[in-house]
Amino acid sequence: MLFVVVAAAALVPFVAPYDVASVWGDVSRWTDLPRNAPPDWIDAFSEQKFARTIIVDWNEFKGGASNTTEDFKIIVTRARWKFEYDTFPPDMRVYFRANWSSFKPLITITWERPDGEKITMFSGFPTRQAPLMDTFDVPADTVEGARAGLEGRLREWAAGFNATDVAVVHPHVTLYAETGPDMLSPARASVLHGPYALTVEALAFDANDTLEARFVSYGGVYGLAGTDSLRRDLLVGLLWGAPVALAFGAVAAVLTVMAQVILGALGAYYGGRFDEVIQRATDFVIIIPVLPILILIGFLYRPDLVRILLIIVAFNVVGGTTKVIRSIALQVKEESYIEAARAYGASRARILFRYIIPRTMPYTFALMSLSVPAFIFLEASLSFLGVGDPVLPTWGSIMGDASRGGAIYNGLWWWVALPASGIVFITVAFAFLGYAFDKVLNPRLREE
Amino acid sequence: MTDTDGTVGTVVFGPHLLYRILAWEDHPQPFRKSLKSAARVSRDVALAVYLGKRALFLGITLVVATYMVVVIANQGGLIDRILIAEIRISTAQELGNQQWYQRLDASEKQRVYNETVQQRIHNRGLDQPFLSKSFRQTWEALTLDFGQAQGTYGTGSFKLTTIIMERLPRTVILFTTATALSAVIGVWLGLRMARRALSVFDRSLTVLSITTLVIPSWVLGIFFILMFSVGLRLFPTGGMVSAPAPREPFALLGDQLWHLLLPLITVTFANFGAWSYTTRNLVLQIMAEDFVNAARSKGLPEKIVLRRYVLRAASPPIMTGIILALVASWTGAIITEIVFNWPGLGLLFFEAVTNTDAPTIIALTIIFAYLFVVTVLLLDFAYGLLDPRIRALGR
Repeated sequence: MLFVVVAAAALVPFVAPYDVASVWGDVSRWTDLPRNAPPDWIDAFSEQKFARTIIVDWNEFKGGASNTTEDFKIIVTRARWKFEYDTFPPDMRVYFRANWSSFKPLITITWERPDGEKITMFSGFPTRQAPLMDTFDVPADTVEGARAGLEGRLREWAAGFNATDVAVVHPHVTLYAETGPDMLSPARASVLHGPYALTVEALAFDANDTLEARFVSYGGVYGLAGTDSLRRDLLVGLLWGAPVALAFGAVAAVLTVMAQVILGALGAYYGGRFDEVIQRATDFVIIIPVLPILILIGFLYRPDLVRILLIIVAFNVVGGTTKVIRSIALQVKEESYIEAARAYGASRARILFRYIIPRTMPYTFALMSLSVPAFIFLEASLSFLGVGDPVLPTWGSIMGDASRGGAIYNGLWWWVALPASGIVFITVAFAFLGYAFDKVLNPRLREE
Repeated sequence: MTDTDGTVGTVVFGPHLLYRILAWEDHPQPFRKSLKSAARVSRDVALAVYLGKRALFLGITLVVATYMVVVIANQGGLIDRILIAEIRISTAQELGNQQWYQRLDASEKQRVYNETVQQRIHNRGLDQPFLSKSFRQTWEALTLDFGQAQGTYGTGSFKLTTIIMERLPRTVILFTTATALSAVIGVWLGLRMARRALSVFDRSLTVLSITTLVIPSWVLGIFFILMFSVGLRLFPTGGMVSAPAPREPFALLGDQLWHLLLPLITVTFANFGAWSYTTRNLVLQIMAEDFVNAARSKGLPEKIVLRRYVLRAASPPIMTGIILALVASWTGAIITEIVFNWPGLGLLFFEAVTNTDAPTIIALTIIFAYLFVVTVLLLDFAYGLLDPRIRALGR
């Protein structure tokens, strides 16, 4: 189990974007992904085939200028794709990029269906000159007034098929729906399969005017892990969560346990005042409410992951392990081989590091692998509350985003369940490793 | 040599790490240790000295922790500077709206403005140096004189004592009940597991125990809400009452119980594993002890061996663990309350943090610290009574 985790974590930098912190925070990177889409393997549990994302890129739009006269020319560019899915896409987006010199060209976007019907989606002027682009969104578009226009046209068009009228027209449904009485209703309409086309046309008034277009029909499902409300591919965040959690837990566990072991052994070996100080410091750390203080620090100072790690280590320089190791070291100290070492003149440091601490090593390993889950969950708790690393996606912060985005209550289960499963898997792996150590150390637990 | 202080860890980690403490600690060996050294000094005096030392130490801990929180929560005086800047802005705006102020000439305006700002800063106690102010805040916190919060948190009062007293019972009702339930279920299961060690029943429950032991209740809570509230619609997704709340007292009580059920099940399920696993290992360890073998070799039936010898030796640490966990459960769990939207102390703490409400944050942390300290002191007292070696330490 652990090997799987470690191997997967080691692979992540090669399969996922390396500069994940900047990629994750950059919303413009994710515009081609559907919003709040479940993972695409839910197909396997359903009789339907869910709509996938279809992208017809700039260079895939084919066409050119025609009817060129002295006064005007018509530029036509067309995208073709096949739609063979059983669900409607949640939304669609047309990008167009027009360049003009004297007058704005008149842009017309036409929807062509497999049954030969044609619907004008948009007719109007571009607001931005290339290389900036305009977007036309279905159902919620950004070009003013266009939505009402499209809805009105669709209503009129559907009326020709005796469609039952509805209060709100859902263009992304009706455009893909089979004609008939149900074509306006998202609940009852069925998908018309076949080849579709989208024509973007410009009536331009100058010989040098250009027009380019791009089309995205968003899917109802996406990728292995789905997407969140900012259209981000959760797989990227989930993949990066593994090495981050693993490294955080392992480094924190190794540093704190080693510090606690050394301090515990030192205390036991030297005894007296020194021991007393360490003991009282341990009690202090154990008694103070660490989580509230960590939340407070995280909220007020916004430390990044490394600083959080350092703060946590600082709070755990002494702790439960110090006590355990101290009591073991107190026993070991009295044994005769230590006395022998002292007799042949071994230095104190030698006795401590070569004879006493190695004796505690088995316990140390068990305690280390048992404290890895604790630290992973500690980091996840902080991230969940939004006081963890400000930019890096971790499992905790994905769950926190989901929780604040209402994912739990709106049924966006993949957004919370997948990171939670990841974290559970990785920590349970460490826990079993720790208990395996424990069993080896306490043969009584095994019995014959 | 046993270090009883080790058990203190229970308080912070809850039953989660209890197994570790109990497993490392020598379980009481009632027939072995000689009481000679203890008998030499008067028991009560030694105990009193020991408890006195502990109380002194815990007091110092509390003071240092409080001071630390005060400094962190005020960002070393930064919050004061922000408040002063706010006062300047609001004063300038208010005065600017006054007609009599507009008629004054420039230098007069400046003078009036400065005086008003100074007056307001003084009224809010912001003109004192941060150091003395932090000492004063620490003292107020330690004497539970919490003063005013910066929000009402749905109680209709700014008094922190009122706010905290409204939230504390909710936390107690959820977490103390859950702790008691999980302890009872866990110990019972642990005893059965030990009796049938290495059977399928034991092995599968051990795996389940370890799994629930590492997974914190808030992560479990997320899964449970998804499954039972969203999927099966058996429970509400969070909160403490429906909106709108039922009018009739019985309906209201039923509604609250219905809201309580899922968090209760979650916390219980998340914690029982620690108890069952610990109890199992403890009992197995004791079963391998010489005195148990001696009892067996005397020909006593297994039942009597278990009840008289094994259980008697196992019960003090288990009882201590249960008492401690019950006391420690007062503090609840911040994130679990957030996940379940359960309006207890933990959720209050998070609300306070997001509102940068320093007085509330300080007050809550102090409350948490006080609860810990009281728990530890109770533990010391219990151990002092139970363990003769402690009394020997008191000399």
